[in-house]
Amino acid sequence: MARTDAPPRTDVASALERLASALRDTQLTLPTPLAADSECTRVQLVEQLEDYLLPRLRQMEAPLLMVVGGSTGAGKSTLVNSLVGEDVTASGVLRPTTRSPVLACHPDDLHWFDDDRVLPSFARSSGGKPGAGGLHLVGTDRLPRGIALLDAPDIDSVVETNRVLATQLLGAADSWLFVTTAARYADAVPWDLLEAARERGTSLSLVLDRAPQEAVDDIREHLVAMLDDRGLTDTPVLVIPETTLDAGRLPAAALAPVRAWFDDLAADAQAREGVVERTLSGALRSIPDRVRTVQEAITEQDRLRTELAAQVERSYDAAHEQVDETVRSGALLRGEVLARWHDVIGTGDLMRALETRIGRIRDRMRAFVTGATPAEVELKAAVVTGVDAVVIAAADQAAERAADAWRATPAGRSLLDRGRRLDAASPGLADRTAQEVRAWQGEVLELVREEGAGKRATARLASFGINATGLTVMIAVFASTGGLTGTEVVVAGGTSALGQKVLEAIFGDQAVRALAERARVRLMERVKDVLDTEAERYTAVLDAAAPPSVTGSELAAATAELGAAG
Amino acid sequence: MSVTLQDRLTALRAAASLAGGRVDDEPIERATAVVERAGARLDLGLEATVVALAGPTGAGKSSLFNALAGEALAEPGHRRPTTSTATAAIWGDEAGDDLLDWLVVPRRHRLDGTLDGLVLLDLPDFDSVAATHRVEADRVIALADLVVWVVDPQKYADGVLHDEYLRPRAGSSDTMLVVLNQADRLDPAARRACIADIDRLLTLDGLPDVPVLAVSATDGMGIAELRDELERRVRRREQALARIAADAAAAASQLAEAVGTDGAPGDIRRQEVDHLAASLASAAGVPTVVRAVRAAHRRRGALATGWPVVRGLRRLRPDPLRRLRLDRSAAEAGDPTPRTSLRAASPVQVAQADNAARQLAAHAAGDLREPWPRLLRVAATSNDSRLHDRLDAAVAGSDLRMRKPYWWRAVGALQWVLLVASIIGAIWLAGIAALDFLQLDEVVPTPELEQLPVPTLLAVGGALAGVVLALLSGFLNRFGAARRARIADRTLRCQVRDVGRELVIAPVERELQARAELLHALRTAAGAGPTRRAVRRGRAGDHALTAGRS
Repeated sequence: MARTDAPPRTDVASALERLASALRDTQLTLPTPLAADSECTRVQLVEQLEDYLLPRLRQMEAPLLMVVGGSTGAGKSTLVNSLVGEDVTASGVLRPTTRSPVLACHPDDLHWFDDDRVLPSFARSSGGKPGAGGLHLVGTDRLPRGIALLDAPDIDSVVETNRVLATQLLGAADSWLFVTTAARYADAVPWDLLEAARERGTSLSLVLDRAPQEAVDDIREHLVAMLDDRGLTDTPVLVIPETTLDAGRLPAAALAPVRAWFDDLAADAQAREGVVERTLSGALRSIPDRVRTVQEAITEQDRLRTELAAQVERSYDAAHEQVDETVRSGALLRGEVLARWHDVIGTGDLMRALETRIGRIRDRMRAFVTGATPAEVELKAAVVTGVDAVVIAAADQAAERAADAWRATPAGRSLLDRGRRLDAASPGLADRTAQEVRAWQGEVLELVREEGAGKRATARLASFGINATGLTVMIAVFASTGGLTGTEVVVAGGTSALGQKVLEAIFGDQAVRALAERARVRLMERVKDVLDTEAERYTAVLDAAAPPSVTGSELAAATAELGAAG
Repeated sequence: MSVTLQDRLTALRAAASLAGGRVDDEPIERATAVVERAGARLDLGLEATVVALAGPTGAGKSSLFNALAGEALAEPGHRRPTTSTATAAIWGDEAGDDLLDWLVVPRRHRLDGTLDGLVLLDLPDFDSVAATHRVEADRVIALADLVVWVVDPQKYADGVLHDEYLRPRAGSSDTMLVVLNQADRLDPAARRACIADIDRLLTLDGLPDVPVLAVSATDGMGIAELRDELERRVRRREQALARIAADAAAAASQLAEAVGTDGAPGDIRRQEVDHLAASLASAAGVPTVVRAVRAAHRRRGALATGWPVVRGLRRLRPDPLRRLRLDRSAAEAGDPTPRTSLRAASPVQVAQADNAARQLAAHAAGDLREPWPRLLRVAATSNDSRLHDRLDAAVAGSDLRMRKPYWWRAVGALQWVLLVASIIGAIWLAGIAALDFLQLDEVVPTPELEQLPVPTLLAVGGALAGVVLALLSGFLNRFGAARRARIADRTLRCQVRDVGRELVIAPVERELQARAELLHALRTAAGAGPTRRAVRRGRAGDHALTAGRS
């Protein structure tokens, strides 16, 4: 049917390659129910593309690969050995028996399978005992050319690697020979897989093994009804009755229905092509829907990532706001800073103490070493401590808010576990902030020097001292911009008014306001830098765990290309 | 065993309630469910033993059930899945209807025989496409005293059985049996190999001591041994207790996992407490109050002992303490919750106090793992909103010892005497001046003392002495003010430290105390003796399993 109007397969293949590579690069790391499902779909898609679709499209004339799959203990290996008429794979009573897949085919067909065309992720071995993990190749002339049997591990035993392996092998099959038993046929796990086969359009045959003689018809009828219910109406059901094994193989009588079906298929090249074609077009049809699931998950991941990043940003923006508010409100002036300012302008107790001779000598000595009076040094320190405390508290609270916000979602919670103690400010913050504020103070002095240079102000500035002027600007930063009220105006306003007068005398009215504003902006820039570094701890965790996805659009493009080609 | 089962259940309940709100809900809910089930089961008496036959579809649970009962009570079938609801076979009259009502098993068959006290339940499968079967099976498995896992040679290694049923019950070996049904399908050698393989898988599941019996419901092989095993357990009447003990141990270990038993808390060091107290003192405005105390004492001293002539000038400036509404006399006048007029703490001070509380919590957390660092931090900052009101109240409520010294009164009186003397002298001089004007100065002689005229002495000496006395008292008052400031500082800091202890340190200590109690309760709940060893073995089994896989 499809062979007459076969699409140009090379276009399809290149679209699929593009799709495979985009899917490989897709990461769905933030845990959500949708992501878990889609991750499954994604892995299966990648495997199906690499293990089945691409190799099959490149070499349409390769033999039909029939994978014998099913539950543990269902008798897959026994069936394969019996069909081949040779012990190609181990069977036994211990579950699970088969741990590494065995592929049997005619010796002339071996070359199709011993390169990386199908199942490229499996190491090949042949002869002797099959090694674990690899694909064991057995050539036997008891099998006709054009058909290969693959004995897959079980799909439901306690050995998880087997389950993963079996799913991958079934994904690579042109056709499934699914083996179940009278005790097994209603198990939930195999039906999930059969459901997947239906979704992918894989051609499927069912073997009901170990059917008790007295109940064969009853069970068969029930099984067919179950298949009908699940939209697998045309599936051939082949029955093997419960029997004693003859040297580890099924007696010919018991095997007869399966043998007849298999030989028919082996003899009829056209029927085989039909099977391949059906599975291929079914697989191609199933792809867009499944890719869409992955795309939805990518969209969800993007949305989650944006949300988590926004939560961090909001928290730290609020912290920045909080610090800015404090600086603007003049609140920094209320405590230590104001007291030290009083010292500097000489109305405080300390200044009076300094007027004693010892004080003056000490003052000079310190001034000689540091270039500043002790009162100035202490004022500078007070500014550092004040800003420091406010920034640390704001950063602590921001970290806590961000952590609380993240903890509210499973995705965020999983990220919090990765980072170390994200919910408090980082240990080095105090030092970093102090350093920044000190650097800012240096910058203010620089600003003052620049402002004073090339003007008549220079002389006045020289007489008052750059240090003292710089401090006055700092005070102006904390006092001039805020909405001070009540007594604060008297206190802060009084002192800053004095400072303001000094400054205006040096620079002029307009310049002072601009100077204070510039100094404040510089301070807040530094605070922002500090807080950004704090927030980066969060974004680093987020980026490491879930890097921004670029594959969403690539997937869409590849799907569109596939649609155009098919 | 040193702790009784009742003690362990009580401890588990206590642990669950202590863990509430501190760790994830899931292990807490499980612990609570275990305690509730245990209570309900114990209330129903230990005379009967509930045994459930559980297993995958097609393993032959119903056939085995019939074989044990000796008659066809359940209907085994070929169409899978067969049984959809539980059926009970009850031997003897030990099991009352209340027990069966608790199990919610409507289909009951009462039997006689050697298994008196046994309630045998045939369960639906847990692995078929019929999801309702699994729900029903899970429900009854959760209630049974002993679960007999019925497997067959095809299905004994199924992932569902091991991953979802056996491994989560690691360590509860004595609450289950494994029965390999349909053993007649294997020859003796294969049977032995199969049993050994089941043993291996069970050990990997963390259930190394579970007995495995090979039976055949169709030809009766091993049924007698199974009956004996059940009879032995039913007669001992310990199975229900064993199940409860195993559940309690498992729930306790899961809860312990969530709580995080490793790591040791740090201590609350003096350094952090001092830092906290200092920042709280600054936020409470202690330095301001201390300055006000000093100023107020000097002002009041000056008012009491200063030179009366200029004393009034002092009154023009307000009393600093009264301005802060810290005057005790005003506060004692009936206002029960005095508030000061101290300015609210600045954002800087609030931030400093906040930082100090967080630092203290971080040190107290030591190397504990989450959630404890978070819980301690939350505890340390939980009273933030109350903190500043309480600090204000503490300052307002402190006794600043502003009593007037006794000598003020004496000096004050002396000042008045001197003033009066000086006024008398002045009037006298005025009189002399008047007499002089009337040329009568020779008539009335001016008394002299040591050649100085008395009125002059009185007027000038009185004034001079007053001023000197005022200066002298001022000097003394300065010392007094410094001393009072020191006392006030000490008192206030002490009060502030108490507030810090109550609102910051005490919550942190309570949290650490809760953790200690929780760990103790969990240790008790896990119990001593064989159960605990089994739990540990179960863990080791887990490791072996992961190692085997990787």
